[in-house]
Amino acid sequence: MIKLSRREALGLGIGAAVALGTVGTAYAADPIKIGYPANLTGIQASLDGPMLNGAKLAASQINAAGGVLGRPIELVVYDSKSDATTISTVASQLIDSDKVVGIIGFADSDSVLAIGPQVQKAQIPFITPGATSPKLPSQLGNEIFLAAFGDNVQAAVGAEFGLKNLNGKKAYLLTDIGTEYTTLLSDYFVTAYEHGGGKIIGKDSYKIGDKTFTAQIAKIKSSAEKPDFIYAASNAEEIGLILKQLRQAGIDLPVVGGDGYDTPLLIQVGGDAANNAYFTTHAFIGEGASPKVQAFADAYKAATGNVPENAFAALGYDAVELMADAIKRAGAPDPAKIRDALAATSGLDGVTGTITYRPGISVPDKSVSVIGVKDGKLMLASEAAPTFVAEP
Amino acid sequence: MIGDKRVLFAILVACLLAAVVSYGAPMVLSDYFVRIILLIALNGILVLSLSLSNGFTGVFSLGHVGFIGAGAYVSGILSLPVQQKMSLLPHLPAVLNWFSLPFLPATIVAGLFTALLALIVGYPLMRLSGYFVSVATMGFLIIVNVVLINASDFTRGARTFTGVPLETTLPWVFGWLGVTLFVLAGLVYSPFGLAMKAVRDDTIAASAVGIGVLRARLLAFVIGAFFAGAGGSLYAHYLGSFSPNTFYFAMTMNLIAMLVLGGMGSLSGALIGVVCVSLLSEVLRSVERGFTLGGITVPALFGASQIVLGFIFILIMIFRPKGIMGDRELTFGFAKKSASPKSTATTPREG
Repeated sequence: MIKLSRREALGLGIGAAVALGTVGTAYAADPIKIGYPANLTGIQASLDGPMLNGAKLAASQINAAGGVLGRPIELVVYDSKSDATTISTVASQLIDSDKVVGIIGFADSDSVLAIGPQVQKAQIPFITPGATSPKLPSQLGNEIFLAAFGDNVQAAVGAEFGLKNLNGKKAYLLTDIGTEYTTLLSDYFVTAYEHGGGKIIGKDSYKIGDKTFTAQIAKIKSSAEKPDFIYAASNAEEIGLILKQLRQAGIDLPVVGGDGYDTPLLIQVGGDAANNAYFTTHAFIGEGASPKVQAFADAYKAATGNVPENAFAALGYDAVELMADAIKRAGAPDPAKIRDALAATSGLDGVTGTITYRPGISVPDKSVSVIGVKDGKLMLASEAAPTFVAEP
Repeated sequence: MIGDKRVLFAILVACLLAAVVSYGAPMVLSDYFVRIILLIALNGILVLSLSLSNGFTGVFSLGHVGFIGAGAYVSGILSLPVQQKMSLLPHLPAVLNWFSLPFLPATIVAGLFTALLALIVGYPLMRLSGYFVSVATMGFLIIVNVVLINASDFTRGARTFTGVPLETTLPWVFGWLGVTLFVLAGLVYSPFGLAMKAVRDDTIAASAVGIGVLRARLLAFVIGAFFAGAGGSLYAHYLGSFSPNTFYFAMTMNLIAMLVLGGMGSLSGALIGVVCVSLLSEVLRSVERGFTLGGITVPALFGASQIVLGFIFILIMIFRPKGIMGDRELTFGFAKKSASPKSTATTPREG
């Protein structure tokens, strides 16, 4: 129960840095409160930590520019500890005690599913910056909005990248069956890849938290048909280990995956083994990035002392912009009006792309960046919108 | 002890108090505090059911959460609205997909299911003692987890099981807590309860005087599993969404910490442990967000709550190795007035 891993220590450090950075700002007008539950400790910390930093940066920039409706916005942050029970407690704290007008939070679909029923019941608009299951709005209700593309879109881009850029007609599929995100991603990949003429020659699975993948790797080695690349629907922690063990076993095939790879852990854990890995994500932050992204990266560095750890930092930033924009257009900090304004969002120019909600669909259409690892560094491999997308 | 008028009076007062709290609290307190009270009562049921085997019978089970998880899923599947079943569990066998049970029957079925499971699992396992039974029951927990993840037609696999109606309210939880407490107190402080404790304290001596060791252990295990299953159902209808990993090692450690902290051989100790750990972690969770006190601003230190909590556990284990209550009960001077010459010793010193 009590363990302080590297991730948590990192979370602590980030939390402290952010707190020190934001202390000392005081406003005369009553702030508009936006709830921000974040898994700052536990398994999701490497995604939610940078995301919160990005969100805080957006909030401070908005406030420096005069706030929204003449009032500053305030992010009410709680650590929800990557735990369903804590998430539901935090939700009631935000809705009932802090009386927030909207909630932003989480990088994973499971956490959103945990908070969803309460948010929906209280009729508070909710934006998830990082969760990518396109099924969330239909599972939970009309208060739920995604700031990111759906998994069906990124899986399709991953499949087309494999088919065209890697020239891979045969893929081996490795799936983490321990989380909603990876399970869905894997299913969407199969649909898109087979639609594009690819062939899955083998499948295997593991569970989040696993440390050794020798059994899975042995199966890949002994498979009669040789795959052109491996699609691994994995979370942050495991992909580093998988790559390391794959390379040690002498398999140098390209490994493709989704935005779960997009944490500093990929290169920290994977090291040299991370070379020849590709992943689909929300924005490319690094050398040669677009001016909008570069401006964000500079501001982030000035605020936190670090370059943005991953695209989730940018998503956190965009989600706050999205909410602030909706509050502005709603004309009053009223949850029902904000929800309607949010649903009508059109052409909001964010760091991770342009956000527009088509009528009745709370998942935006956005382009997907494919990032590759070369010589221990991230580089933009492709940027695309898919030609075929599986149904959610 | 039941015949005593004063005990009857005490039970009546307790029921009245529970009713007042459970119906009154939502009107007076904010939803957040209602949830905290509810969670405490809910964890109370789970820890009490754990104390029966781990505390009173000396079978230190690490598999209890397996029963809670099984109960949660069974009742979740039974009470999911029919329309939801179609969309979320399209491959559910036809026997299960045309009906949806109300909350109470689903909870009772979940309890009976886990009791049956405990009977099957416990029959071989309860012959083991000491560390062996801990490891074996942990094996059971892992098996439950793997089955929940792989039986995806029934459970959606590792993906979040969602859509369970949010029906767990304070009156329900207090009702179940009352039933749990009543049944367990009746059992633990009956002659059979003495047999259970004898098995715990000295297995060989107990069997030498004719106590059925297997029978005592198995009964404790099965009854504990019934309330774990029912508690699991309450938990499912409290969260609404959960996954197999909700019911795994983290929860096991949490419940065991509550039990050990409160006192292994005491029902009131178990409840005190739950109250202490729950309140402490809630207070720490709010404090770690940072605060200003007398002009000094303490920055947010997320994660500090776990460290402080762990430190407090260590201190308690050093200074009170048997937990806060040990094996004494908080009786308010009611029970066993004349039965035991040590009756003064049963009055708690902690108040």
